[in-house]
Amino acid sequence: MRAGSIMDIRLLQPSDIPHVQHANITNLPENYFMKYYLYHALSWPQLSYVAVDVSRPKKSPYDYPRIVGYVLAKMEEDPPDGVQHGHITSLSVMRTHRRLGIAEKLMRQSRMFPFQTYNLSESKERHSGKENRLMDIERAMVETFGAQYVSLHVRVSNNAALRLYRDTLGFKNEKVEAKYYADGEDAYSMKLDLGFIREQILDEQDEVEEVDEGEPVGELGAEKDKALPLNGKKDAAQGGKKMKVRVGRGLGVGDLVEKNESHKA
Amino acid sequence: MPQVLSAKERSLFQTVVRNYEDKQYKKGIKAADQILKKNAKHGDTLAMKALIMNSQGKTEEAFALAKVALQCDMKSHVCWHVYGLLWRAVKNFEEAIKAYKFALRLEPESAQIQRDLALLQIQMRDYQGYIVSRKSMLQSRSHIRQNWTALAVAHHLNGELAEAEGVLTTYEETLKNPPSKTDFENSEAVMYKNSLIAEQGDYQKALDHLESAGKHNLDRLAILELRATYLTKLGKKEEATKAYRALIERNSEYKKYYDGLVEGMAIDAVDHKALKAVYDEYAEKYPRNDAARRLPLDFLDGDDFRETADKYIHRMLDKGVPSTFANLKHLYSSPFKRETLPSLVQQYINSGKSEANEEPKRNGDTSKGASSAYYFLAQHYSYHLSRDLDKALEYIEKAIDLEPQSVDFHMTKARIWKHYGDSHKASEIMEQARTLDNRDRHINTKAAKYQLRNNENEAAIKTMGMFTRAETVGGPLADLHDMQCSYARQGKVGLALKRFMSIYNIFDVWQEDQFDFHSFSLRKGQIRAYVDMIRWEDKLREHPFYTRAHSQPSIFTSNCMTSP
Repeated sequence: MRAGSIMDIRLLQPSDIPHVQHANITNLPENYFMKYYLYHALSWPQLSYVAVDVSRPKKSPYDYPRIVGYVLAKMEEDPPDGVQHGHITSLSVMRTHRRLGIAEKLMRQSRMFPFQTYNLSESKERHSGKENRLMDIERAMVETFGAQYVSLHVRVSNNAALRLYRDTLGFKNEKVEAKYYADGEDAYSMKLDLGFIREQILDEQDEVEEVDEGEPVGELGAEKDKALPLNGKKDAAQGGKKMKVRVGRGLGVGDLVEKNESHKA
Repeated sequence: MPQVLSAKERSLFQTVVRNYEDKQYKKGIKAADQILKKNAKHGDTLAMKALIMNSQGKTEEAFALAKVALQCDMKSHVCWHVYGLLWRAVKNFEEAIKAYKFALRLEPESAQIQRDLALLQIQMRDYQGYIVSRKSMLQSRSHIRQNWTALAVAHHLNGELAEAEGVLTTYEETLKNPPSKTDFENSEAVMYKNSLIAEQGDYQKALDHLESAGKHNLDRLAILELRATYLTKLGKKEEATKAYRALIERNSEYKKYYDGLVEGMAIDAVDHKALKAVYDEYAEKYPRNDAARRLPLDFLDGDDFRETADKYIHRMLDKGVPSTFANLKHLYSSPFKRETLPSLVQQYINSGKSEANEEPKRNGDTSKGASSAYYFLAQHYSYHLSRDLDKALEYIEKAIDLEPQSVDFHMTKARIWKHYGDSHKASEIMEQARTLDNRDRHINTKAAKYQLRNNENEAAIKTMGMFTRAETVGGPLADLHDMQCSYARQGKVGLALKRFMSIYNIFDVWQEDQFDFHSFSLRKGQIRAYVDMIRWEDKLREHPFYTRAHSQPSIFTSNCMTSP
């Protein structure tokens, strides 16, 4: 292949961070210290993605990436409700690169979103009968970190983002958080349940391991679960037992702050 | 001889330590003074007092007192440890390491001193020293997996790949039962070991390891990617092809995967038809995909190019994608493509298919159809390989006529004026664009940048201030510095130098930032990401933001010297 392509969508790497930070501060009012980006990249390297313009020819061995969009995602540490879940910290696409569906593609790559939701919102253009293609993508956040749902905040006035989250990705409005933003604007707190992805994974595990615990096994069971998404009770019983994932409990941001090296004598 | 404390004073000393840890500095000093009243030369107490004073910001006095403490009790590990901590606080890591080493020689069992030493060694990239520290830490606590992994990382960074792998294997062999499949630390350790095997160049072994130990790994994407890479390296083309197809199923916007697929299929590089068929398959399968539609434009030529580019352009302009030109301009290195693309856009306009779209638009968005096409041409004539600024201006005005509220169009118009060399007009238009969407920070940043270029420094700071926290002491600039914003351009030489100095500081902070992750990452178990970070930090000063800042001040200083 000769010339480079324009836009890669790929995992965020530590070396992207200054450029992600730059994209953030030139595009959004909510900004973060470098260390907070590092914290994401080093705690959940599987969850954050960037869209990179790689069209320019390489000029030096350390050729920096031009970030045109990013999604910064994390797992909630010590969740107050005791339920493992993910959170979208920040999502941005450069004004010059809108209308390419980058935001949606980034969100899907961060592997929090079930393909069923995708199909529900399919426009005619997208409805091509290849429904299952996203299945594998969407599983990994659940697979890797045992997330049961994913949450985010969005400005109540940000209609474009609302359309993406609610209409395209299937998020539900949880509540309004008054004056959430520094400038006084309210936020919608939104949530997307990942329950049935968990079910699917568990069913597949059952298939592979042939562990029959009285739950439906095999294709039939899987189909049924797809059709009847949420069975809270089953989820709690089976999920709680099998999907216990150690996500570094007790390693909050507080632990990031150096402890003064004070334990003397 | 060091002074010996009474039982009561010993417990008072414990209070001093606790006060320090709880940051109750005044109380700590008071308690220390109480001990010192009777035992003026008690080294440990003097040292603790110095440490507390350092935390109160009295660095010089603290150093002086710490030296007195050492004179009183050269054989106290507390005195040496404190001395090291003081050096650590002023970021003199070499001296800190020396002091820690003395302390450790006096008190080899102290886990705390050992840990402090190890952290500095890795921060300083003293890999030999870090290996020694890590070995000792492993010996004292071999039941903790982290300690094994840490030693492996030490060997790895020191270039001793086989040793690193060996350490991980030794740990695995101590396990009586296989770890649970959802044990994240184990999952990551397996992937780390796999990366070590691959780095040694034994791809067959890496593949076998991936397929056995990595079978139920939690990081599915890494498994799929590595498998595809190894299969390719091993020349197993058919399997590699399948592996890349699976990856494209997950993410169809990553060129690397298509390259891998094409390589595996062993298609002749000149067989454009066969190559295009590969991409067409995915373009058809994924109606919203961009890469499969655009990538063939790189290798196609002649009529094939024209036909494919025409389809692509129609699709993009119909949708009103503002980055259409940016997506194609890399093709301009070919004169044929450089001429073909604008003519296709012109045809698009002439065909009349591009009736103004009636659907309601968001404030300031690029619109669809004709205005989009004019916008493309304006950018075309503004681009350095095909520049004709008068034409560019003509087209952007046409676009703006159709879409007077478009931020994007006004941005390009400002840019055209910049290319004319008229920074006043450029700044004026960019400011106009900004007011079309006050709440968008992207256009705000642009406007400020253009104001700086036009020497409107005060206005620029005011513009930037609209998105910085008003309450920050020092105004918007202080806030931008807080957020480590890497550019702030000033007209005045002195101020400029100051800003550049602050860029140096930002890089220092970046380097310092990694410190906490030496222990954090081990606890988190995310070893591959950590090693990536270390390698990246080692290249940090090659960062273009840094080199740019680095070369500019010398120009300023020479200006200062030559101008009276």
